[in-house]
Order: sequence, then C-alpha cells, then structure tokens
Amino acid sequence: MRELTGGRLLRRSLARHRGRLLGGAVLVCGHQVAEALVPVMIGVIIDRAVGTGDLPALVWWVLALCALFGALTVCWRVGTRHLVVAEQREAHQLRVEVVERVLDPRGHRTGMRAGEVLQVATSDAERSAEVVHGVSLGAAALVALAVSATALLTVDVPLGLTVVVGVPVLVAGLQLLSPLLTRRSTAAQESAGETTALATDLVRGVRALRGIGAQDNAAETYRASSRGTLRASLRAATTNGVYLGITTAASGLFLAVVAGFAGWIALAGRITVGELVAVVGLAQFVAEPVRLLGTAGQLLARARASAARLARVLTAPAVLSPGTRTEVLAAGVALRGVGYRTLDGLDLELGPGETVGVVAYDQRDSDALLELLAGAVPATDHTGRVEVGGVPVGELDLDTVRAAVLVEQHDVALFEGTLRDNLLAGAERPPEAVTAAVAAAAADDILAAHPDGLDRSVTDRGTTLSGGQRQRIGLARALAADPSVLVLYEPTTAVDTVTEERIAEGIARVRAHASTLLVTASPALLAVADRVLVLDGGRVTASGTHADLAQSDPRYRAAVLR
Amino acid sequence: MSARELLPIAPPGRTWAMLWSEVRVTPWLGVATVLTAVGASAGGLVAPWVLGVMVDDIAGGAGQDAAVRAAVVIGVVAVVTGVLTGLSAALLSRLGETVLARLRERVLDRILRLPAPTLDRVGTGDLLSRVGDDVSVATTALVTTGPQLVGALLTIVLTAGGMLALDWRLGLAGLVAAPMYVLAVRWYLPRSGPFYARERVAVGERAEAMVSSLQSVATVRAYRLEGAHTAAVRERSLAAVDLSIGVFRLVARLVGRMNRAELVGLATILVTGFLLVRADAVTVGATTAAALYFHRLFNPIGAVIFEFDQVQAAGASLARLVGVAELDRPGPVGETREPVDGRLEIEGVTHRYGDGPLVLDGVGAVIAPGERLAVVGSTGAGKTTLAAIAAGLLDPVAGRVCLGGVPVGELDRGRHIAMLSQEVHVFSGSLVADLRLARADASVEQVREALALVGAADWVRALPAGIDTVVGENAHRLTAAQAQQLALARLVLADPTVAILDEATAEAGSAGARELERAALAATRGRTTLVVAHRLTQAELADRVLVLEHGRVVETGTHAELVAAGGRYAELWRSWTGSGSRG
Repeated sequence: MRELTGGRLLRRSLARHRGRLLGGAVLVCGHQVAEALVPVMIGVIIDRAVGTGDLPALVWWVLALCALFGALTVCWRVGTRHLVVAEQREAHQLRVEVVERVLDPRGHRTGMRAGEVLQVATSDAERSAEVVHGVSLGAAALVALAVSATALLTVDVPLGLTVVVGVPVLVAGLQLLSPLLTRRSTAAQESAGETTALATDLVRGVRALRGIGAQDNAAETYRASSRGTLRASLRAATTNGVYLGITTAASGLFLAVVAGFAGWIALAGRITVGELVAVVGLAQFVAEPVRLLGTAGQLLARARASAARLARVLTAPAVLSPGTRTEVLAAGVALRGVGYRTLDGLDLELGPGETVGVVAYDQRDSDALLELLAGAVPATDHTGRVEVGGVPVGELDLDTVRAAVLVEQHDVALFEGTLRDNLLAGAERPPEAVTAAVAAAAADDILAAHPDGLDRSVTDRGTTLSGGQRQRIGLARALAADPSVLVLYEPTTAVDTVTEERIAEGIARVRAHASTLLVTASPALLAVADRVLVLDGGRVTASGTHADLAQSDPRYRAAVLR
Repeated sequence: MSARELLPIAPPGRTWAMLWSEVRVTPWLGVATVLTAVGASAGGLVAPWVLGVMVDDIAGGAGQDAAVRAAVVIGVVAVVTGVLTGLSAALLSRLGETVLARLRERVLDRILRLPAPTLDRVGTGDLLSRVGDDVSVATTALVTTGPQLVGALLTIVLTAGGMLALDWRLGLAGLVAAPMYVLAVRWYLPRSGPFYARERVAVGERAEAMVSSLQSVATVRAYRLEGAHTAAVRERSLAAVDLSIGVFRLVARLVGRMNRAELVGLATILVTGFLLVRADAVTVGATTAAALYFHRLFNPIGAVIFEFDQVQAAGASLARLVGVAELDRPGPVGETREPVDGRLEIEGVTHRYGDGPLVLDGVGAVIAPGERLAVVGSTGAGKTTLAAIAAGLLDPVAGRVCLGGVPVGELDRGRHIAMLSQEVHVFSGSLVADLRLARADASVEQVREALALVGAADWVRALPAGIDTVVGENAHRLTAAQAQQLALARLVLADPTVAILDEATAEAGSAGARELERAALAATRGRTTLVVAHRLTQAELADRVLVLEHGRVVETGTHAELVAAGGRYAELWRSWTGSGSRG
C-alpha cells in the first residue's frame, strides 16, 4: 500500500462515504438551485398573475411556489442529513484509528510532544472529517452560481454579464481587505487568550498569593492585561466596523447599478417587470454562493492541514519491532553493559525472588533505567543487552514482556471508574489478593474512610484523592498485579514517615516470592532491599546492603539519610 | 465527598440591572449605538421600496430617467447605510468590550479576595470556569452574537413596520407567518435544550476518555489496557455521534417548519396583493416591494432563531459573572492598626470545620519577636489548621491571635504576615514577573538578592534567559524543589514580620529537602516564624518545639529538652532517626 499522505487521507475519507456523499451533495445542490429560484418565482408571479389579474395563473403559480418550497426543504433536510451522518462517522473512524495508533504498545516515532498528539487525536480528526462538508458545500455553491448565471443570461445578456462578472469581482475586492481584518482579530483573540490564561493561572495560585498578601499586585497585573486586551479588541472592532461598512456600501452600490440597468431596459420594454424583480433578487442571491465558495475553500484548506498531521501520526513508524518468543527461561531481568542516554556501561541483575534497591545520584540515570525496563527502548537505540528472564528483550513478544515486567510510574495515573476498577486494572483477581495488596500499600484507610469502600468512584487522574492517596492506590494496583518482576519508582514521596515504614514492610511481605526493583532514595524502602546498587555517572559505582553503605559511604549517607 | 458549594449566581433582574448601570457609565455611547443601529437597519428598507416604485413606473410608462433616479437613490442610501452599519458595529463592540473588561476585572478581584473557608468549600473547577469559560462565552455573546442579533431583530421589526407602512393589508398578510415562526420556536426550544445538554455531556465524556488514555499512555501500556481504553473511546465516540445526529434531526425539523412559515407568508402576500391589485386598492409595485421585504427577512429570522441557544448560554454565563462581581470586597472593618512589635500570641484557639469534630482544642502559644517555633504532630493533629489560624486566613471558633498586641483581624494582614502553604504554584510568565507579584516595585537587584538568599541563584543563572526566562505550565517547567525556592524568594521580597511555613518537602528527596530547609532558615531569619514540621530535622533547627496531638498541645520546649524529657516527641524522634540508620 502506498504511504498515506494528507491528500490520500482526505480522498480515503471521501471514498469511504461515497454513497452518502454523492447523494447528499446532489440534494444540497438542488437546495441551492431552489433558493436561487425563489426570487425568480416572485418575479414570475408578479408578472403573470398580480400584474395581469389572471386568477388561474395565480393558482398555478402559487402551486408552483409550493412545489419549489417543498423541493427546497426536502433537498436540504435529506441532503444535509446524509452529509452530517457521513461527516460524523468519518470523524469517529479517524478518532478511533488515531487513538488505536497512539496507544499501540509498540510506540510511535512522530516526533510530536504528548500535547500535540492529543491535539491531533481530538481536533485534527474532526477537522479532517470536515472535508465532507467542504466538498459538498463547494459543489453546491458552484451549481447555484451556474444556475443563477444561466437564469440571468437568459433574461438579458449584457445585464446578466454585469452580474456574473460584477459579483465575483466585488467579492474578490472585499477579500483584499480581509488580511488586515484577520490580523487585527487574531491579535485581539491572542490577547484575550493570554488574559484568560493569566486569570486561570492566578486563580490556581490564589492560595500562594494570599499567603504573601499579593492579591493587590495580582489584581493589578490582571487589570493591566485586561486593559491591553480591551485595546486590541477595540482596534479589531474598529477595523471590523470599517470592513462591514465598506461591504454594506459596496453591495448596496452594486445593487444600485444592477437595479438602474435593469430598470432602464425594463422602462425601454426590453424585459418585463417580473424579469426585473428576478434579476434584482438574483443579483442579491448570487453573493451567497460566492461567499460559500470562500467558506468551502477555507474548510478544505483546514482539513488538508489537519489531515497532514493526522497522516503523520497514523503512518508513524513503530518504535519497537518485537520478537515472537512467548516463553522466558527464568524469572528476573538483567542489563549487561548497557549504554543509553546518560547510562554508560550499566550492569544490573535482578534475580528471581530478589529485592534490589537502586539509588541514582542523577535523576536522568534513573529515568533512562526505567525506560529500558518498561521495554520502551528498541535494541537499536542502546548498546549492550537487556534481558528479561534470560532472553534478549527484543526476541520476546510484547505481551510476554509486559506480563513479566511491570513498571509503575512515579506520577501515578488513575482512571475514571471505581477504586476496584483501578486496583484490578482490567484483570480478574481474587478479592483476597486485592485486600492483601491494599494492606501492603497501607491504603486500607482510604477504603475505610468512605462508605462505598472499594466501590468508591474515582475521577479521571484521581483528582478527588489526595496526592498521598493516589500514590498508595497506584502502589496497591502494582502489587495486586503480582508480576514476576515489579519496578517501583519513588513510590512513597507523598506519605509520612510512619506510613512509609508500613509500606516498606508491606512490600517486603507481598513481594517475598518475586523480584522487585526499588528505584528510590527512601531509607525505609532501601532498608528492606536485599542489596542496594548506587548509580553514578551512568553506571553502578557501589553495591551492598543499605546498612553497610550507610555506614561506609558518606556520599550515600548524604543522599538517602534523613 | 459532599457536593461542592458554588459561588453565587445573580438572578436575571440583577444581571440586567448591572449591565444597565454599566451602560449608563457612558450614556453618549449608548445613545449613539442605538441611533446608528436603527439607522443602519432602516437603510436596508429603501431598496425594495424604490424597486416597488420602479415597477409602478414601468406600468405607468414613465421615462427611462426614472431608472437613473432609482439607481441614485439606492446608491446614496447604500453609502449612508454603509457608514451607519460600520459605526453601529464598532460602537456596539466598543460598548460590549468595555463593559466586559470592567466585569472580568471585578470578578477576578473578588475571587482573589474570597475568604479561605469559602475557597475551600468552592471547587477550583467553579472558580476556573468563572474566569475562563464564562468570560469567553460572555465575550462571544456581547461582541459577536449580540451585534448580529440586535441587527437582525431591528431589521425584522423595521421591515415589518415598512410592510405595514406600504399597505396595512399587505403588512398583515406578511404577519400571518409570525405565529408559525413562534410555534416552530416553541416546539423546538424545549426539545433542543435537553438534547444539546446531553450532546455537550457526551462530547465532554468522549474528550475525557481520549485525554485520559492519551495522557497516561505509559500506564495504559504497562497494564496492557490499550484494548479496553480504545473500546471506551469508541463507545463514547459512538454515543456522541448518535446524539449529534439526533440534534441535527431536530434542527432539520425546525428548518422544515421555518420553510413552511416562509412559504405561507410569501404566498399570502402575493395572493393578497393579487386581490388588492384587482380591487385597485394597491399597486403592483407595492405588492412587489412587500414580497421583496418578506424575502429579505428569511436570513435575519433564521439568525435570531439559531442564535437563541447562544443567547441563553451567554445569559447563564453573565449571571455567573455578575454573581461574583457583586460580592462584597472583604477587608478589615474600619481603620487598620499597626502592631507594636513582632510578638505573635495564640490564645485558647479552638476550631472545628462545620459541625465536625474539634480539630483544635484550646491551643495557646506565644512566639517572641524573631523566634522560630516548630509545630510537630502526626497527620490529622491539626497542624495545618493552626498554621492557617495563626496566619489570620481562618477565623477560629473560639480564641484569638494577636500580633504585637493587635488582633490579626484588625491588621493590614498581607503586609505583616506571610504564609507558605503546601500548595506551591509557579505563575506563568517571566521569573522576575512571578517574584514581583510579592512586591511590585522590587528592583532587578532585589529580586536577584532574594533568589541568592534562598540558594536559587545558580540554577536561575543557568536558565536560558536568566530571570527573564518564561516559566510555568506551558513554558520552562521548574522542579518541585525549585518551585519551593521561588515561593521562599517571594516571601523574602514580601518582607513580612511573621512567616508561617507549612510546606511539603518530601517531593524534593532527602538531599533536596535539606537544601530547602537551609533556604527556609535563610528566608525567615529575623522574622517571627511558625514552622509546621513535616520532617523532624525542621524541628531540630527551631528555637522551640510544640507537640500537637488530637488538637491539643501535649509538650513544648527546645528540641534538646524534649528529647531528654522522654515524652511523645522523644518517641517520634527515635522512630525518625531509627528509620534512617536501621539495617
């Protein structure tokens, strides 16, 4: 299959819904034609019935007006519904596709920051699907223009040409003003955005402000920003007023020319009264499809830009190319002579049933180590060997690696649902296992403090829990998962010393049979490790029990002791 | 979790009164806006009327100069209308923007001054939505939707008037459509409101599912949850799609009803005109003008109907803004007094939250000028509550706190007492602007000195642009320890007599925590200081220690005295040091 580009993505979107798109576009074109015919019909009724006093003609033409409106309304309703359904479904498909791609455990090399990826998944998927709208709008506008032009030229060729040439020239001329308008309004919007951001920032820090009595200064800072925004908005409003004024005057003057011209030849008897009405009505109507063409162009340009970003994510190469082996030879993990980022020839072995503490003097070393252990680094990006259960990690199937090694992030991410959902993390586990894990993480008070216990609902990211509660629930979740290798990164920074002691004992208790790596500077946790490795300058510089190191190594003592 | 309290929402009457009083601040602007808007809408009536006259001229066999006259009239009116339209749009925006700027400034001012208990009861979500979403929605309404709506409404009223002026019978014929429009809207609104609300909720849930999965990719992958999370996004996305299509069906039916009203109105005018022309009561030209008038109403009527939702949303946002803006501005009642010295006296302070259990029970302490007192106790002993009361941020149920002989309520509190709480915040913007929040007129030199005092000089110098580096959420992120140093530097610049510290230091790790303790010591030297000790080394460094258990003072004395006494503190100290050297 050929590489998916922005343009191909848009074509694929259109092709996926071609039936609805075609039907919808044809009907919406029909609607535009019907709209164009309304002033023509008014002219005809004035001409054939009102002007002549011919009753049967009135009855027939009013019936024709009814038919026109019937066609107008049915075309719009049915046509637009097809288009809305197509656009909504396409946005849905793109959204799910991009989420699938981003969550893929093999990772992706898009070179985008997390925020950008989120932006692509949310707004770019929607904007890209708007191609449906853009294409049909453009088609409808073109058809309406063609019909109007034909009607006008049929009435009178010079008059028709005046309108057919004059309207696009007028609209294009007014477009020349729009860069200034856009610039001013963008400046105003940016300024307003900054003022809003300042307000939310000050409100988030309101306690810090009050603590040092800085509310007056903060209010003054905001006032200055708000006044700046007001000035930018007023400049934009003035420009906008001028633009609106010129638009109104110019279209009025054009109408004057057309009405004068049409009146002149009507008075000369070259066209009828009804044709005069139709021409003036059409001259006013034609501006609408011309404007729609502009909108369609903008929509398509925006969809194209979004589709390009979307295609970049959807076609991003995977970071990992996992192997196929599904069995490990033993428990444990080992890093042999690994160089990655700040790591330089790191040797680290975690045997079956062992608990090992890691103290890194430089946080970048521990970050790199965690990335390696999480299996997020392909073999080509590091030197040396990373083995899980005696097998090079690159030869193993991803699910096997993830079943064998679990890395719980320091910044605990909880998901919307109940506490139970979060603790089980999508797996089936006996209730005793959960209870034991909760007790080991010293999180039992969180369950006891709420009448719903395990069924207590948790918001996304656990915002209704305190930092310490979140950290302990995250730890309990990791312990409940009971992987053969568990890697914990500073799991007790948000709890008090007494609780930290309890957690250290709990971890030692429930992890007695399995391998655990504790990357931490907490003396309580390090004290329960079988041995402690000190990481400095990207490699292990010392090892031993916590007690020995604390006694013999002053630098170690300074780093971990309280 | 109890339901969060909301800040006040103004009743409709108050909202209007507030807007009206704001408009009256600049009466000429209001009057000019109204006059130009009416003029601009009226200008639109001329062209159809001139065409009607021309139709009659053709029937009457007038000369071709009638066409020239008509063109000149339409042209001149077009220029005048253009000027008036531009003026009215600019004036209307000016009026709306000015009123809104004053309103948002007042809202933020009141929120910054909310009393601490109110702040705790009201969720951050409510505060943020008032200064964020509500301001945006109200701005759009006042600046974009408002002018369009005013223009459309004026056009409708004036055009209806124009039709009646043309001929009252033709006017009435056009008005036949009015009840149909009213019925269409009355059919639509009660159905669309709940539908839109459900759609908004569904779209919000979809966004939340996506954000939650994508922000926590590492955890999702670690627990092999990608399938479950994709399924959740798919399900919510489908639900939102269904609702959006449902909303569209409703809109489509409304449009159908509007088309019907358009047809009935237009046909009635034409038939009435036909009959009246036959009876020689009106001219063909008048009928033409009436039909054209009605035809040009299609767009403004649509605009009014479709903007209705936005108007309702804007009304709700405005009510929420006015509700906050009208709060009293709290502050010391009457004259503030100056403390004679830096002695902080806490006398018999008792506190409970709502009707909950006692958190503090008759706590008393005196901190001499320049003395450093550490408060020690296990979680839930009431340390943070005591700190907030000592800082004058919380009024106790009983007892009082005096600084230099003056009760804190009668002080210009912000000038004399500073408190650093556990919630550290780095304000977005340049580092120097962040620090100047503490003292607006601080020189660059003073800012540098404050940073040096708290041991931040080195890393600040290493920043890409030094103290002018833009920091905060979307710029250069500072570590937790750096953020705390910044908070201490702010305290130095604020230069209070009394410093109350209730910071968390655990996130900084052991070595970092010790550095922060040194910084805190330097920042509070010479000030009367109360430290909530989260780590016992903080107590060790204090002049005196107060041990709090279950809201009561159980021990006070120096670190050495208390360790020697073998009481609760000695026990805590043993457990603390024991954990460090165990092995």
